[in-house]
Amino acid sequence: MEVFQQLLIGFSHALTPQYLLLAAIGVTIGTAVGVLPGIGPALTVALLLPLTYNFDPTGALIMFAGIYYGGMYGGSTTSILLNTPGESASVATTLEGFAMATSGRAGAALATAAIGSFVAGTLSTLLLTFTAPWLARAALLFQPADYFALTVLAFVSVTALVGSSLLRGMISLFIGLFFGLIGIDVLSGQVRYTFGVVELLDGIDVVVVAVGLFAVGEALFVASQFRQRREEVLAVRSRIGMNREEWRRSWPAWLRGALIGFPLGALPAGGAEIPTFLSYTLEKRLSKHPDEWGRGAIEGVAGPEAANNAAFSGVLVPLLTLGLPTSATAAILLAAFQIYNLQPGPLLFQKAPDLVWTLIASLYVGNVMLLILNLPLIRIWIKILTIPRSLLYSGILVFGTLGVYSMSNSFIDVLLMYGIGVIGFFMRRFRIPIGPAILGLILMPLAEAHFRRALAISQGDLSVFVTRPIALSLLLATLVAIILPYLPVLINRLTGKRTPAGRLVFGQGEED
Amino acid sequence: MNAETRALLWLRLTALAVIGLGGVILTQTSQIGENLGYTIIGPRFFPTLVGIGFLILGGLLFLRLTMFPDQTLIDEVVAEERMIDWLMTATVLALLVVYAALLESLGYVLATTIFFALNSRVLGSRRLRRDVLIGFAIGIAVYLFFTRLLGVRLPAGLLSGLL
Repeated sequence: MEVFQQLLIGFSHALTPQYLLLAAIGVTIGTAVGVLPGIGPALTVALLLPLTYNFDPTGALIMFAGIYYGGMYGGSTTSILLNTPGESASVATTLEGFAMATSGRAGAALATAAIGSFVAGTLSTLLLTFTAPWLARAALLFQPADYFALTVLAFVSVTALVGSSLLRGMISLFIGLFFGLIGIDVLSGQVRYTFGVVELLDGIDVVVVAVGLFAVGEALFVASQFRQRREEVLAVRSRIGMNREEWRRSWPAWLRGALIGFPLGALPAGGAEIPTFLSYTLEKRLSKHPDEWGRGAIEGVAGPEAANNAAFSGVLVPLLTLGLPTSATAAILLAAFQIYNLQPGPLLFQKAPDLVWTLIASLYVGNVMLLILNLPLIRIWIKILTIPRSLLYSGILVFGTLGVYSMSNSFIDVLLMYGIGVIGFFMRRFRIPIGPAILGLILMPLAEAHFRRALAISQGDLSVFVTRPIALSLLLATLVAIILPYLPVLINRLTGKRTPAGRLVFGQGEED
Repeated sequence: MNAETRALLWLRLTALAVIGLGGVILTQTSQIGENLGYTIIGPRFFPTLVGIGFLILGGLLFLRLTMFPDQTLIDEVVAEERMIDWLMTATVLALLVVYAALLESLGYVLATTIFFALNSRVLGSRRLRRDVLIGFAIGIAVYLFFTRLLGVRLPAGLLSGLL
């Protein structure tokens, strides 16, 4: 019952005016960037990082969590009305959501998305409340060798399971790893890959990389393909709400979506994309109305939207208890913790219980705020969608430049960011996902430190990674993550069937 | 050259660039001082690993494009190659660099106004007066918010007497 007490204390902090305000700002910004195509929670949190250096850490993290959560809610609006996913986690929603909107049922689609997000968000926050402290206690047993194995698992599973090509995912990951090497090596004090540029001694800031790859890369890519872009926002004429039939068909899909989303978000498997597609497939299989699919089946919106919100709470479990980010946004949240000299991990629950529980309590509060923002106030967000693309991308570039320039008023930093933006442009052109690069950049220093520490403890004996049961099982899980996508092909080969299906694909890895 | 040949050429160049980066990383490892200190694994170990990784991945990508062509990827890149507008892309990039270079001398507000209006025009907006006004509004709002409320310095530039 200790959990209840701590949660109550958390609520007593989270309900103070200051934190309520920050949560409200966070979820509002989050919904806005979720609605707008081209920018997402990862970029937004990165842009706001330099501004919050002087904030109290709890407040800043409440705001960032609100942005991440809000992005999940807001993405559905764009998917349903524009047929363009606002976020990668909303790709599955476009399939049935846009079909519903074209047949005049946009109101029901928006309602099932918002209410489903709320139900799943609250349910998964409950699961987070009870699993996180338990996992944090288990994680106390982890040693450097185990942590290294864990980062390897995160690298490989995020890369292997997300994106249509393992090879291109790995290239992205290695670009991130290389960026992570630049600067002074913490353990030996040696300078690496600065090419004589003084600004690089401290390493490349995550803000510079995130803004370059996400904002500038995306803007250049959109500019390169501008001629073919014609998009129209569907008007919402119907009432925002559902009839009895729609309620009856939505709620089982919400619950199933939540139950898929939470555990898959918690596994190192790339955040919210995979669960949304799994939920979509499951709902399609279970549906009593198979003829409706493709023409606007409400379960196809309810399930994935519930799953992506539940996955967010899932992502927080390894982030808070192990310090392991499993998506690009989580990686940037980890960078935020580090800025405040907080190391997420098992000790966080002991050293900063107030922060952890206030953050968790604020998730419950944020969910209620988001339900209000996304049901009665939904028409405001629909207005935002009508901002012309030319102005939207000019604005994204202005704010991206501002985010990097305001860190130290340095022209070199901004140029470096634009240079990374050109890399981001080519990565988009050649379908190299961005997410693994962000993860690589942030985890590289941790992976290297854990590896070297583990070998220092074992006095150079490499077998430490296979003799410790935790490390060994994590490395075996890594192997499974590599093989899993090829399993259908292998099985077909073995049973002599020939199918054109390649490897399993769980998502496009285009988190922004 | 038609779009298909160009797309394939681009993709192969990408593979070569990945291999090349691996080469640069590996040759540059010798520049890292090998100071072991108290650790067993020195600062060159991970860079070497990453460099070798790039060589292998670039090689595999090249194979994937020549011997076992990844048709979905090639088709997608070809489709984009037909549509691509290099002039617009390069103009946006050039505007960005000029914007960053002028921030200090013109000041944040004016540079932002000019960049926002010009960039929107390049991207197809035809209402210059509106765009100038929006750019100015963003510039002045950000400037005041950052300098007055957050205490972050932004260059005032030409408007330094007024702001």
